[in-house]
Amino acid sequence: MPGVDKVGADLLARKVTRRDFVKTGSLLALGATSFPTILAACSTGGSPSKSGPKTLKILQWSHFVPDYDKWFDPWVKAPPSQYEQSTVDMSDVVKQVEKKYGKQLDFARLTNFNPHTNRYFGFTYSFAPDPGDYRQSFFQQVGMANGPTSWEEMLTATAQIKSKTKGAVRGGIGFSPEPDSNMAARALIWSFGGSEQDADSNVTINSDAVVGAVDYMARLFKQAETAEVFSWNAASNNQGLVAGSLSFILNSISAYRTAQASKPDVAKDIFFSKPLSGASGVKPLASEHVIQTYIIPKFSKSQDVAKEFLLYLADHASDFVYQSKLYEFPVNPNTNAQDKLYGQGGWLDSDPYKSDPASKLQVLKDATTWSVNVGYPGPASPAIGEIFDKNLLPSMMAAAARGQKSPKQAVADTETQIKAIFASWRQKGLVGGTK
Amino acid sequence: MSEPAARRTVIIDETVRVHHLLDREEVLGPLMLAPLLIYLVALVGLPLLFVFIYSFSDATTGSDTFNFVGLETFQKTIADPVFQVALRNTVVFTVIAQAVVIVLATILGFVLSANFRGKWFVRFLILLPWTTPVALSALAWLWMLDSLFSPFNWILGQVHLIDQGTPVAWLGQDSLAVASVVALQAWRTLPLAAVILMAGLTSIPPELNEQAEVDGAGFWRRFFDITMPLLAPIMMVAILFGIVATFTDMAAVYILTRGGPGDATQVLGSWSFYTGIQGGSLAQGAAIGIFMFPVLLGVCILMLRRASRTDAF
Repeated sequence: MPGVDKVGADLLARKVTRRDFVKTGSLLALGATSFPTILAACSTGGSPSKSGPKTLKILQWSHFVPDYDKWFDPWVKAPPSQYEQSTVDMSDVVKQVEKKYGKQLDFARLTNFNPHTNRYFGFTYSFAPDPGDYRQSFFQQVGMANGPTSWEEMLTATAQIKSKTKGAVRGGIGFSPEPDSNMAARALIWSFGGSEQDADSNVTINSDAVVGAVDYMARLFKQAETAEVFSWNAASNNQGLVAGSLSFILNSISAYRTAQASKPDVAKDIFFSKPLSGASGVKPLASEHVIQTYIIPKFSKSQDVAKEFLLYLADHASDFVYQSKLYEFPVNPNTNAQDKLYGQGGWLDSDPYKSDPASKLQVLKDATTWSVNVGYPGPASPAIGEIFDKNLLPSMMAAAARGQKSPKQAVADTETQIKAIFASWRQKGLVGGTK
Repeated sequence: MSEPAARRTVIIDETVRVHHLLDREEVLGPLMLAPLLIYLVALVGLPLLFVFIYSFSDATTGSDTFNFVGLETFQKTIADPVFQVALRNTVVFTVIAQAVVIVLATILGFVLSANFRGKWFVRFLILLPWTTPVALSALAWLWMLDSLFSPFNWILGQVHLIDQGTPVAWLGQDSLAVASVVALQAWRTLPLAAVILMAGLTSIPPELNEQAEVDGAGFWRRFFDITMPLLAPIMMVAILFGIVATFTDMAAVYILTRGGPGDATQVLGSWSFYTGIQGGSLAQGAAIGIFMFPVLLGVCILMLRRASRTDAF
């Protein structure tokens, strides 16, 4: 390339003065600042027209079932009640959907409605159940082929499995600062008859029931688990179950769906259980694993389009259920997914995604009766959101399991933290209750 | 006919004036500094100002209005037991990490300033961790320390130091988790310190050491009496950079342990993020962040004093 060489030699030979440098630098800076604009114009096929179609921008996470994203990609996870003061009132959308498809389930209502301010700050359209996931082959070895039905059974079985496998296969309930551990802690507390708050948003964490749940977790850790449970992220229990290192976890069906594609033999060995019972006379409950709630910020210029989209979404419930591979269930009782999902011979009776046996997911048929919102029996308020995001309940469990505090002390200390958070949000007028 | 000629002259003079303007130090200097100043004001100054404003308020992430509440947010922050742990951890992690860095960086400085084959390749390898964004390197460490897939566990299993299938929970035990976070902070700040110290070592006139050697001084005598005193000022620069990088970082903890086990590795950066951004209590998150300020201010003053002394020479 002699021509190029000559140009290069000319440039090198030429003395660059400070003045030239400033001039060239200015041009480069101008070019650099213009470049993104050019790119944006190219990507939209030229300058946007004022009379063109309206655009809706949606912010959503990557789905736990990757195939769902392929279906949803033209369009998106929205955050919770802490944004209430900056969101558009959604009562019109909720009412319209309820008129067509029946009243929202209670836990959905408590997620997108603030009873203290009497306002729908978001629109909840689906949830993912959070059953127990277990490896049947391990549970068969300890005479529990159908999985555990109570927390005590689960402890006994996972401890025996750990002992039989010399520690290679362990229990999989996390104590870590991550969402799955948060949900497991709550499911256990509810099943022991306790809760963070009551229906009127009064703090109720310091109770014998919660102390009992913390004591149970400490025993579970000592007998059936190892210190790995303090270091997990949201994917760890899924990975451990599929890798054959964990015998029982609490999770949605996402790990199972992933295993179906990558490790069919493992998937065949994964089965599901209903929420485990704790204290006698207390209804066993599980936290919703994910509850899809959309908010529309007040600054949005596409509020009408956004609402239109949400109504469309509700109208196509069977699509989002199917495309999520039965990960997501609708929160209104009479959508077009109802019969297809729950009906006789429906998707939960006969999994269209080739479960073996086909009826493996039948256990989820009554998931709407045992799933509750974070914050149950009260609303998922900003205070509950902050407690969740600061991982206070898993840390409370971990403090007792690691022997740093007695269960009673761990609960008492957590109560102090929770009360401070409630007081702070009450001052902002977003949370009810007085205690 | 004289008017058009006068106009032509004016145009030429204007060009010359611009050229002369760019040749004047008092014009060109501020002009060259302007982009940096705009960048610093927009991305450091203004956010810092907002942190101060928010910390005296009841601001949340969900509202663009707030009230000033005086010192109430600070009182709540100081009473929070996790904040106390985070404050202690931030100081302890920084001190230990930088102590490790100084020892290793001095050794590396000697190695890097020596002459050997492949010196440039070794320098390149040592600099790599510094060029990698902390989030990326933390992810790599997360994988290496994972309870299920850790290559360290695999190696320990292969040499029968642990039973296969019963992994060491690197991030699940307090002492190991703390050691892991400190190791990551030291690993990522070590290269810069090593290069700074290498530059310091090469700037020491070789005659001083040669003369001392002739006089019978051994390695340690020369190290403590000649090298260390001459290296100390530049070592201070390396330490100050390391303190800033470690004290303010939240990515290493957030990605590696998320503050766990329990709150054993919680630091000010991560707790500020959990409280202010994730939890929505922006004011308290800002107040937690403010506690980094006195240390960083002290570091800045030391750096400026060091710079002004260098100018004096």
